[in-house]
Amino acid sequence: MKKRVSALFLFILMTLTACSSQSDEATATPSENKDGKTEVIFWHAMSGDLETVLKEIVDEFNQSHPSIEVKPIFQGTYEEALTKFNTVAGTKDAPTIMQTFEVGTKYMIDSGKIQPVQKFIDEENYDTSQWEKNIVNYYTVNGKIYSMPFNSSTPVLIYNKDAFKEAGLDPEKPPMTYSELKEAAKKLTKKQGGQTTQYGFSILNYGWFFEEMLAVQGGLYVNNENGRNGNATKAVFNGEEGLRVFDLIRDMYKEGTFYNVGQNWDDMRAAFQSKKVAMYLDSSAGVKTIIDNAPFEVGVSYLPVPDGVERQGVIIGGASLWMAKDISEKQQKAAWEFMKYLSTPEVQAKWHVKTGYFAINPAAYDEEIVKTEWEKYPQLKVTVDQLKQTKPIPATQGALITVFPESRQKVVKAMESLYQGADPEEALDRATEETNRALEMANKK
Amino acid sequence: MNAPLSVKSSPSVPVRRKRAVWTTLEGIVYLLPSLILFSIFLFYPMLKTVYLSFYATDHQGNPVQFVGIENFVYLLKDVNFLQSIKATLLFVCYTVPASVVLALCLALMANEKLKGIGLFRTFFSSTMGMSVAASSVIWMFMYNPSIGVINKVLSLFGISDVQWLLDPKIALISVSISTIWMNIGFTFLILLGGLQNIDPTLYESARIAGVSYWYQLRKVTLPLLSPTLFFVTTVSLIHSFQTFGQIDILTKGGPMDATNVIVYSIYKDAFINYNFGSASAQAVLLFFAILVVTFLQFKFGERKVHYQ
Repeated sequence: MKKRVSALFLFILMTLTACSSQSDEATATPSENKDGKTEVIFWHAMSGDLETVLKEIVDEFNQSHPSIEVKPIFQGTYEEALTKFNTVAGTKDAPTIMQTFEVGTKYMIDSGKIQPVQKFIDEENYDTSQWEKNIVNYYTVNGKIYSMPFNSSTPVLIYNKDAFKEAGLDPEKPPMTYSELKEAAKKLTKKQGGQTTQYGFSILNYGWFFEEMLAVQGGLYVNNENGRNGNATKAVFNGEEGLRVFDLIRDMYKEGTFYNVGQNWDDMRAAFQSKKVAMYLDSSAGVKTIIDNAPFEVGVSYLPVPDGVERQGVIIGGASLWMAKDISEKQQKAAWEFMKYLSTPEVQAKWHVKTGYFAINPAAYDEEIVKTEWEKYPQLKVTVDQLKQTKPIPATQGALITVFPESRQKVVKAMESLYQGADPEEALDRATEETNRALEMANKK
Repeated sequence: MNAPLSVKSSPSVPVRRKRAVWTTLEGIVYLLPSLILFSIFLFYPMLKTVYLSFYATDHQGNPVQFVGIENFVYLLKDVNFLQSIKATLLFVCYTVPASVVLALCLALMANEKLKGIGLFRTFFSSTMGMSVAASSVIWMFMYNPSIGVINKVLSLFGISDVQWLLDPKIALISVSISTIWMNIGFTFLILLGGLQNIDPTLYESARIAGVSYWYQLRKVTLPLLSPTLFFVTTVSLIHSFQTFGQIDILTKGGPMDATNVIVYSIYKDAFINYNFGSASAQAVLLFFAILVVTFLQFKFGERKVHYQ
C-alpha cells in the first residue's frame, strides 16, 4: 500500500514538473531563433487571395533581409484577431506586430500595451508627408502616429455592366445619387412569375457601410467632433444624415428592389456573382477578386449620395500595424524595418494592383506595374480617385471610440429591423441609445 | 501501513480513529489528480466568474470597481437579455424533444436484426463523428439564399426563395434543424446501446403472450429504456442550453438577436465588447437556470424512470 501511495505521489510530481517545464519553454519566446535571425511574429486578418499576396510580400522581405525573419500568422477576422490579442497582450505570447482594423485604433491606444511608432519616426526623421494625406489624417491621434498604416480601403459601388446593358441603362453612367440609384435598381429588378430573379441593389448588414454613407454626407458618428476633440460621450448618428440612409434602405426594400444579403461578406459576393443582385456596396479591397471571378463585366463607382447633398468623401477603412510594447529593442527595430518595407512605393504598388487596397504611399501610382494594371483594370483607379476627392473634415476623419464593435452590432440590428418593417427613426434612435450606454460604461473604466 | 496493528480482534477506539483518518487521507490522495484538475479548470474559473459578476472590469478583464448587484439588475431589465432568454428557451424546446424522438425512432429501427443493419447503424450514428464547426459550414452553404441547394430544390417546386438564416422568424428554426441533425448521432448511439441491454427473454415472453408490437413497445421496451432516455434527455438539455458553435458560424446571434442564445450573448459581451462583469453575471444566471431545470428534471422526471 505504502509503495502504491508513494508511486502515486511520484506520478503527480512528475506530471506537475512536466507541465511546468513545458510552460517555461512556451513563455520564453527568444528574440532570436536558431539561425540567429531576429524573429518578428506578425498577426494578421487577411484571408483568401489577400493572404496569398501578403505571404509573397513577406517572403520577399525575408529574402532581402537576412537577419530578420517575419512570421505571418492568420488569426481570423479583425474582430476575432483583436479578441485573441486582448487575451495575450502584455505577455510573452503577444505578437510583435498586430494588424488591427481602423475602428480598433482608440481601443489599441487605450490598452497601453503598444509602442507608438512615432518614436521610430522621430528617431529616424522618417518622412510621413510621403503618405496619402487622408491616411495621416485618420491615424494621427493627439498629434502622434501610433500605428503604421498598411492596408487602406474605401467603400465603392460595384455593379454588373452586362445587367445594365440588358436593362437599357448606360453601363458607363452608374448612379451617383439616391434617386438615380432607386431608378436604376427598379430597372434592374427582374421578376419571373411571382419570384424576383434579380434584385437591383444590396448593402451588407455591417456597420462600416452605414458609417461611410453617413460620412459621405458630412454626418458625424459621435459628438466632440467624432471623438477627436476629447472623449466622445454621445452618439449622434441619428441625425438627418443617418435617417436618409435608413429611409433609403427601407424604401427600396419596400419596393422590392433591395435584397437582404445578411452579415456575411462571402454571401454578399456570392449573391452578386450569381447575378442575384446587380449593384451592391463593397470594400475596394475586394475589387480585384470580384473582377477576376465574375462571369460578366464589372463596373466600380463612387458611393452614392442623397440628392442635393454635397459629396464630402469617404473615411479610410482597412487596417494598420501596431507594435508590441514589452519586447526587446532588437525585435522592435526589426518590426519597424518590416513596417517601413511595407510602406515603400514598390510594395504598395504590388499590394494595390493585386488586391484593390489603395497605396498608402501615392508614389506607388507612378510605378510601372500600377500603370499597366490600371489599363487592364481601370476600376482600380476609381477607388483612388474617390479618396483623392475627400475633404479633410471630422466626418471623413472617422470616429474615435473604444466601443466601436459593440456600436456596430447595434447598428446592424437596427438595419435588420428595417426588413421587418420597423420605423427607420425608431430603429436608429434605439441604436443611438444603446451606443450611448456603451459609451457611458466605457468612460467609467 | 504505518500504524502497528497490535490488537487483532477488536481495535481500541484511538486506533480505529487513526485508521479512519488514514483511510480518508489515502482516499484524498487517490482523488488528488482529479481534484487538482477540477480546481484549476472548473472551481477556480467558477468562483472567479461569480466574483467578476459583482464588478465592472477594464478591457483586460481586471476588476476595477465594485458595483454590487448592478450587473444583475441591469440584465434583468435589459430587453436584449430577455430576448436571449426567450431565444434560449425556444431553442431548447425546438431541439431536445425532436432529437430524442427522432433518435429513438431510428434506434428502434436499427435494433431489428436484419441483414446489413450494421451499415444503417453506422449511417445513423455518423453525425457524431463530425465536429460542430464542419457540419455548421456545410449547413451554411445549404442555407445560402442565392447559391444554396435547399432553395435550388425548392424553386423546382415553384416555391419562392426562403431566407433561412436572415429572416428573424425562421433563423432560429433553421439553426435548430441543423442542431437536431448534429445531435442525432450521439443520442441514437446511446439509445441503441440502451435497447441492446434489454433482456431478450422479456421479448420472448411477450411473443409467447402474443401481444402486439405497440403493446410490447409501451410495456416492455420503453420502461426498460427509461433510465437511458432519462440520461439522454438530461444531457441533451444541458447541452442545448450551452449551444455556441453553430450559432457563431451560422448567424452570429442575428438577425435582430433572434438566435442570440445566452452562451453566445456571454461570448459577445465578454470577448467582443469586453464587458466581463455583465458577461459573468449572465454566466451565473445561466448556471442557476440549468441547475433549477436539472433539479426539476430529477425531481419529477425520475419518478417515471424504471430501474431494473
